Amino acid sequence: MARRQFDLPFANDGSGRFLPWMIALMVYLASLATVAALTTREVVESWNAGLEDTATVEIAPGPDDAATDGLVARAMAVLRNTPGVAAADPVPIDEIGRLLEPWLGPDAARENLPIPRLIDVRFDPGAVIDVAALSRALLAAVPSARFDSHGLWLDRLTALGDSVQLAALVIVVLIALAAGATVVFATRAGLAVHAKLIELMHLIGSRDSYIARQFQFHAMSLALRGGVVGVLIGALTLGALTVMWRPIQEAVLPDLTIGATALVALALLPLLAAAIATLTARITVMRALKQMT
Amino acid sequence: MVRFQGVAMRYANGPEVLKDVTFHLEAGSYHFLTGPSGAGKSSLLRLMYLAHRASRGTVKVFGHDIAATPRRLLPGLRRRVGVVFQDFRLLDHLSARDNVALTLRIAGVREDTIRAHVAELLSWVGLGDRLDATPATLSDGEKQRVAIARAVIGRPSLLLADEPTGSIDELQGMRILRLFEELNRIGTTVVVATHDQRLIARFNHRVLRLADGQFSVERPTNLSGI
Ligand SMILES: Nc1ncnc2c1ncn2[C@@H]1O[C@H](COP(=O)(O)OP(=O)(O)OP(=O)(O)O)[C@@H](O)[C@H]1O
Ligand SMILES: [Mg+2]
Repeated sequence: MARRQFDLPFANDGSGRFLPWMIALMVYLASLATVAALTTREVVESWNAGLEDTATVEIAPGPDDAATDGLVARAMAVLRNTPGVAAADPVPIDEIGRLLEPWLGPDAARENLPIPRLIDVRFDPGAVIDVAALSRALLAAVPSARFDSHGLWLDRLTALGDSVQLAALVIVVLIALAAGATVVFATRAGLAVHAKLIELMHLIGSRDSYIARQFQFHAMSLALRGGVVGVLIGALTLGALTVMWRPIQEAVLPDLTIGATALVALALLPLLAAAIATLTARITVMRALKQMT
Repeated sequence: MVRFQGVAMRYANGPEVLKDVTFHLEAGSYHFLTGPSGAGKSSLLRLMYLAHRASRGTVKVFGHDIAATPRRLLPGLRRRVGVVFQDFRLLDHLSARDNVALTLRIAGVREDTIRAHVAELLSWVGLGDRLDATPATLSDGEKQRVAIARAVIGRPSLLLADEPTGSIDELQGMRILRLFEELNRIGTTVVVATHDQRLIARFNHRVLRLADGQFSVERPTNLSGI
């Protein structure tokens, strides 16, 4: 037996006409916001990865050159024994001299002034480095060492990325609330249009939940339809943007192709819209029917 | 089964259309409800199928004082009442089959059971070949028979029929009333509202009479002259 139609004549009550389009629009906006959030996260992560590949160790000078060389050697030993460190190179003393020239004058290095030593560190790409542990190990070996992992920069970038993500999340939540409100209005309109039939259904023994189920399934199917349309248009938009941005992107930004996470998130949006619509319709109907006899 | 004690009823802020109605329908009884047009027959039935609250007095159905019955218990009581509405109140977008099935669907009966019972009952009222017709394509008499089928399909313990033979020919009318007799014989309490004095005369049942705001109950023996 084919799935019979609804007991209430939703097909010709008007709510079926505008609700799917409203939901389509909202799911479309939500899909853009979602992908924006996920892309920002990827960009921040890739910047993180780029900067995390390098660090600098600074060592304050000892009483004489030999002592300082000893400190550098000890720091080098720690770095070499740390997994994930691809290379550790002491910066040649002449180059440090050149870096300090503006402050100490041209002959600082040769005049046996105590100058700090630097070690450039390069990590294996993709290696997970416990920066805090490495920093502690260096301090244990060389109390005057200072480990600079470019963390401040990373923190600021990450904070920026986090706020973009938070903004996108807030937008998605607002859209969800707007979708809920739209469903409330559509459902109330439906209740008014079908008041006579709802009374009849009550009179022949219908419980509120049976009537609510009718509205729920109707709202769910409308939202699902609208949501699929919205997310498809969203995917088309994002595809077009990706194609247009590719030349710029390759120069400035890391690869921005939409990842699996984003695809899953996009696929979930129509389901989320349907869930919101179903729940909202049920609550709206159950509340309204409680007022009836 | 149904007990009215000093019942009055009004629509919104209008005048009382029923005043001081007192009667008792025993379980398994069969009553005609008669009176001139506008006397309040349909209104009295509305009180019995819990569509309206009395403005005064006590209405008890199945032993429940309706004014004091919590809302969540009403569906259960209403499922035990079958109603044939004077204006049928069929759902226009549903087929005859689905209109009748609605009573059972609402009560959560299994779909295969519904299918068999509905087809059988509609055949019995002479609509076996109109199962999938919508009300718009049915004559008034056919609609009335769909409405009757919807009222009795759930085996109600109280059957309220408001002018159930108003739109059908005499032969069909007799058939329908015989169905009611049969349901009454297996225990259904029946109230049939009708103007039709000949119908009342043909069957030997008690009569509830509404006239000029007066309410009276007549024994069948009093009716031999009509
Ligand atoms: N929904 C309503 N709102 C206000 N007044 C109503 C309503 N329904 C009925 N009435 C009034 O209540 C009174 C009784 O009406 P009711 O329908 O009960 O009479 P009836 O005996 O069933 O008449 P008929 O034989 O014509 O069906 C009438 O005066 C009518 O105008
Ligand atoms: Mg009437």
